[in-house]
Amino acid sequence: MLTYIIRRVLIIVPMAIGISFLIYLALDLSPGDAVTRMLNPVQTVDPERIEELRRALGLDAPLLVRYWIWFSGVLQGNFGRTLTGGVPISRILMERLPATLELSTIALVLSSIFGAILGTISALRRGTTTDNVLTVAGMIGVSIPEFFFGLVAIVIFALNLQWLPVGGRLLPSYDSYWDHIPNLIMPSLVLSIMMTAGVMRYARAAMLDALSREFIKTARSKGLPEWRVNLLHGFRVALTPVVVLIGFRLPILIGGSVIVEQVFQWPGLGNLFVLSVRNKDLPTVMTIALLSVVLVLVVSLVIDILTAIIDPRVRLGGD
Amino acid sequence: MRILKAAAVALLLQTGISTFAQAQALNANPLSDVRVRQAIAYAIDRNLIVESVFGGYAVPADGLLPNGPFKSPNLDAYPYDPEKAKALLAEAGWDSSRTLEMVYYYDDQITADLMAVLQAQLADVGINMTYGLIVGDVAKTLNSIPEDPKGKSVVTWDMAYGARAAMVMQEYFNDYATGKASADGFPGSPELDALIAESNTATDPEAAKATLMKIDEFINANAITLPLYYQQLQSVESTRLDRHGEPYGNDQFNYDWNVHNWTVTPDADGKAILYTNGAPLDYFEQPWVNLGLWAGNKFIWAHMLGSKPFLDGITGGDLAETYEMSEDGKTLTFTMREGTKWHDGEAITVDDVTFSLEFALKTPNLQGVLASVFNSIEGAAEYVAGTAEHVSGISSDGNTVTIKFTKPNANTLISFTQWGPFPKKYFEGVDPTLVQQAEFWQKPIGSGPFKVEEAKFGDFSSFVPFDDYYEGKPKIDQIIAWSSSDGDVNMVKNASANRIDFAVTKVVSDIEAIKALDFMRLTPLDIPYTRMVWFNQYDK
Repeated sequence: MLTYIIRRVLIIVPMAIGISFLIYLALDLSPGDAVTRMLNPVQTVDPERIEELRRALGLDAPLLVRYWIWFSGVLQGNFGRTLTGGVPISRILMERLPATLELSTIALVLSSIFGAILGTISALRRGTTTDNVLTVAGMIGVSIPEFFFGLVAIVIFALNLQWLPVGGRLLPSYDSYWDHIPNLIMPSLVLSIMMTAGVMRYARAAMLDALSREFIKTARSKGLPEWRVNLLHGFRVALTPVVVLIGFRLPILIGGSVIVEQVFQWPGLGNLFVLSVRNKDLPTVMTIALLSVVLVLVVSLVIDILTAIIDPRVRLGGD
Repeated sequence: MRILKAAAVALLLQTGISTFAQAQALNANPLSDVRVRQAIAYAIDRNLIVESVFGGYAVPADGLLPNGPFKSPNLDAYPYDPEKAKALLAEAGWDSSRTLEMVYYYDDQITADLMAVLQAQLADVGINMTYGLIVGDVAKTLNSIPEDPKGKSVVTWDMAYGARAAMVMQEYFNDYATGKASADGFPGSPELDALIAESNTATDPEAAKATLMKIDEFINANAITLPLYYQQLQSVESTRLDRHGEPYGNDQFNYDWNVHNWTVTPDADGKAILYTNGAPLDYFEQPWVNLGLWAGNKFIWAHMLGSKPFLDGITGGDLAETYEMSEDGKTLTFTMREGTKWHDGEAITVDDVTFSLEFALKTPNLQGVLASVFNSIEGAAEYVAGTAEHVSGISSDGNTVTIKFTKPNANTLISFTQWGPFPKKYFEGVDPTLVQQAEFWQKPIGSGPFKVEEAKFGDFSSFVPFDDYYEGKPKIDQIIAWSSSDGDVNMVKNASANRIDFAVTKVVSDIEAIKALDFMRLTPLDIPYTRMVWFNQYDK
């Protein structure tokens, strides 16, 4: 297993480079650049001034040169500065990351726990009212767009009941970290519920699949108690695809949930990502994208390892 | 002499209109035929568009200039008349198999709806039209023209939908000058060029107004551009806010709105907090680009002179206590107000002004009217080209600053109502090309009634009264502005939650929603903002 892990870690590096270059290329091929985004479309500006700005921002250099300047900076721990505002990207990350992390961590944890539990209950109670209610709830959860769910929550809890703030994260009057918890409740719960629905449906299907396997029948024929059959044998196998699903949701820790952040005016990385794409601020977009890519690659490795630990049938690297 | 010159131009124009309007297609492009353009004007029902697409929150337009003192009585309204449109098309030999390509740059639903209506109305008279959003380099797609006005068009579009929000009326027309890269798609004419030049140099406001009306008539008679509607700006205010009679005006620009006199009902803690939107998402935009567009900049910055609410005159000095313009309109002298300070407590000096004027000349996207005025300062060209260390036409003596211009400009004074200096000490060593990328814009040190207390980009910005503001400390204890871009989608939501006391909007759905809130009020403002269709008349 150790050889397999080392091999996979070594592969992550060229993969991250390759993927980041493809993203850079795709962004570069789309029309316009950061300078065109700064201009008022109908205000004619001295083209010489604009070319000077382009040169000063290094946008006149060939694609490969620009990519290399950015990437070599990243290798030295320097993510560069935003093109439009000249702000160090590392500073923006430090400002925005906590907002995204607290939101997405809560959503990931809650959705993983409740999704797995509710999905399992639904499978074990197959065909009962409980199962039907949970299935319908799951269907609704995965079908309703996040923005709609968010807006409904705002109308009910912020505007009508006035229990929670309508959006935003901080205020000048917040003296301690805990002051902003009311702001956190609605976006994190909306994100959690939406994600729970997906995990629940996945867990139910996986549990049903596991319960129909031969080894479950064998366990039952051995006279093991039902809870033991379900939880120690069934649930353990059913957990594998659920872990994969949860694992591949980890990148939202970096990218944030773009929609929820927009609806709740949450100043996280998801909002920043949208703004940067709109401004064609390549260094910022690339930094967030690279972090997401690395996270996906690392998570995929971790999932493989976890799968092998959870499911005894899985062997890594042909070990 | 100036009046005589204006009369001569007007006479020339009369001749120009009669000959030009009778002309047929100028080249192989059917849109160069005035009859085709007029047919399109007759085919579009602007009243219907205003009522159905804009919910009545716009005014059908007949000219480019807004309704009011600059409106000419001689404009043809091109009333909706599809039969007349068909007759004109037949006369022009319109090829009904041809499809016109319309482009636009607003990515909102209302524009998509408008495009569908325009497409249907043109189809009714036998004109096929496709439409699409411009992506990428919008300015280049819109504004590229061939080097030779008689040359082939360098863009593919036939019609473009866009807007002009004018600080001064000349802005509506300057782009029509021959050889000026712009979206109007008009190759130019000597008659119009003469009028445009006249409108810019006329220092007599009445003469300038008459010339501007003539230009609008010329464009109208020849259907060079099709004005669709005037967009109103709505001032959105909560009932907590009391402006104490301070005026409403063109909130996209700077005027004497005297926000330091406004009050809001204090909250339970006794603190008078005004909530608004428009705080920056990642940095404060430097205020020489979009002038008064961002509320934050209006709080932070003072200007050299004060403007009337709709930018139709000067109210007096602001940072400059007095000003004097020479008879020939070529020398402007400011006497700076004593005791004005930056938000860091340092005195505002003539050095800050002279430095900022030179600095502005080298910034990349100085607002168009300001650029036109500043570039006509004596020695500006040499300074920009790098052959002179300073601008020879800018000098200071004691607390006066004197600026000499190479030619008079009708907009010199109004430009200084929109422009104020930066504190020199923060910009020494900063490359003017990268002015917006300076660290300064994370928490700018300004000169206006409020100073930046805190900026949590993407979340909010907080402004507090500047104790040393020369007109007196503002009465509001704090302004909290939610971060948002232009056309903020969260404005209504925040207003519904009592988190907006002041905002402006042009978005129809927002206006409808705000109207339903009994603790909010709307005040429509007739600003110079015309949405129009440009015709590409270059050869294709």
